[in-house]
Amino acid sequence: MNASEERRAGATERPRWLLHPALVSIGGSLLIAAFPSDIMYYQTSLMQWANASSWLIAGGLVLALVAAIALLIDVISGRGRPIGWLNFILLTVASLLSLVNVFIHSRDAWTSVVPEGLWLSGIAALLLLVVAFRGWTVTAAPIIPRGDRR
Amino acid sequence: MTRLSWSLTAAFLAGALLSACAQKGGDPSRQYGPNPELPEPHQYLLPPMSVPKEVGWKAGETPTVPLGLRIQAIATGLMHPRMVYTLPNGDILVVESNGPGTNRFRLKDYIQGKVKARAGSAAKGANRITLLRDTNGDGMPDLRTPFIDHLNSPFGVVLVGDMLYVANTDEIVAYHYAAGATRLADPPIKLTDLPAGAINHHWTKSLAASPDGSKLYVGVGSNSNITENGMDVEQGRAAIYEVDRLTGAKRIYAAGTRNPTGLAFEPGTNQLFAIVNERDEIGPDLVPDYLTRIREGGFYGWPYSYWGQHVDVRVHPQNAAAVAKAIKPDYGLSSHVAALGLVFSASETLSPAFANGAFIAEHGSWDRSPVNGYQVIFIPFAGGMPNGKPIPVVTAFLGQAGTVRGRPVGLALDHTGALIIADDTGNTVWRVSGTAAAR
Repeated sequence: MNASEERRAGATERPRWLLHPALVSIGGSLLIAAFPSDIMYYQTSLMQWANASSWLIAGGLVLALVAAIALLIDVISGRGRPIGWLNFILLTVASLLSLVNVFIHSRDAWTSVVPEGLWLSGIAALLLLVVAFRGWTVTAAPIIPRGDRR
Repeated sequence: MTRLSWSLTAAFLAGALLSACAQKGGDPSRQYGPNPELPEPHQYLLPPMSVPKEVGWKAGETPTVPLGLRIQAIATGLMHPRMVYTLPNGDILVVESNGPGTNRFRLKDYIQGKVKARAGSAAKGANRITLLRDTNGDGMPDLRTPFIDHLNSPFGVVLVGDMLYVANTDEIVAYHYAAGATRLADPPIKLTDLPAGAINHHWTKSLAASPDGSKLYVGVGSNSNITENGMDVEQGRAAIYEVDRLTGAKRIYAAGTRNPTGLAFEPGTNQLFAIVNERDEIGPDLVPDYLTRIREGGFYGWPYSYWGQHVDVRVHPQNAAAVAKAIKPDYGLSSHVAALGLVFSASETLSPAFANGAFIAEHGSWDRSPVNGYQVIFIPFAGGMPNGKPIPVVTAFLGQAGTVRGRPVGLALDHTGALIIADDTGNTVWRVSGTAAAR
């Protein structure tokens, strides 16, 4: 088989579901939501917002871990095609910043958010929004050449 | 590039975590007295937690006392004894109690609860007062009987005339007491409500009566470490109340005392003193717990500032006027010792060294490394004021290799002048007597 035949053969297989994008999108959304929640705390000094942020970040981190496992399965099982490194790096950095941030948010009262927590959730939200507009996937979706569509 | 960003992030994380863990507390003696050394506050990344593991007392084990004193267990197998109180006929009341439970808001609240439980803080209290009576005068009680049942997280107890007052976590109740009674079964008379509610973070309500018996003083702790449960739930908390004994009318007598766990009148001057537990999580040597005179209308800083005008940046919005009027406490006990019991000595019964001063029980730290407290100390007084370094009196509550055998809480003097100690982790009541007075 030459290269183009190989591609054609792969393309005619039914593309299998990717496990990770749903998990990445849910976890990423939680981490993004922590930023407006932090802003609300910054403006109101009401602890309910700081508490909400700490749960949002904790939830986002749990999903980040599950998503990482799902991604590994996607890659190993061959569901996922080449890894999109930009999204991968953005997600990794956002997760690590959020890991630091969940500890910042475990402080008591004002300094659990202001200023470090606010900065970290703001940067994480920015990185994740980029990923969101790029489609929440880390591996590229299998490409079906136009001519081979049925 | 990827590998570089990975290793940079990892290095940053490791550095941050290490710096958060490496903070070790200094020599506590630098924070004794009127001018404790106060380091710069430090914001943690990981909440500080360092709790020894509860192992209890083995048969024959006791805390250590200095030469010339002796210590014996006068009651064991109790259910979380927190406070002891001596009645005029020599009977000793033991308040067996623990917190009613609290709302949890964050993951941190769950984790800290688990960690503190290691040292026995989650053990169930009996919500009861037990009476101990020594009928033959050998110091060892030969009668032990339930005295009052069905209380609600009680802590303070005081007898005035023929009325016995018990500070439950949500109210002060009164019982008619006749000398020699061994059980108070009549329904209690409610004197007044106390701040409690669903969070009730610092639940203990300490209690003392004025020397003339007309007023009661109640210590009410804050509803958080440092306002992390919101400012609105701190209404009426972190304060010492004055309650009219006959009418139940109450008012805030002094404020800004984060957790005033022990109240007592200095016998020479009839001045009200309090031990107060200060805030956590800004460093192993911040903020020292303290012993201080309580002035009518005085404000002692919490939450806005500590040790006078040291502003706490975790509190927002701040209050410059409150900071400006914050009173500097009289005497530092060093940080995180968790002073929970206070009693003034009455005579030389134990030792001439302990003739004039205050005994203080230090329940022990949970968020400081190395741990601090876990002992009963004596602070000498002169002219109605603390004067001199603390003297360790009852020690060795800690066991080998990060374990704890018992933790001292409430203190009282029995009718012979011996020191009585409630130990809520060892579930024991200890009696410290002079070897001469032990009889």
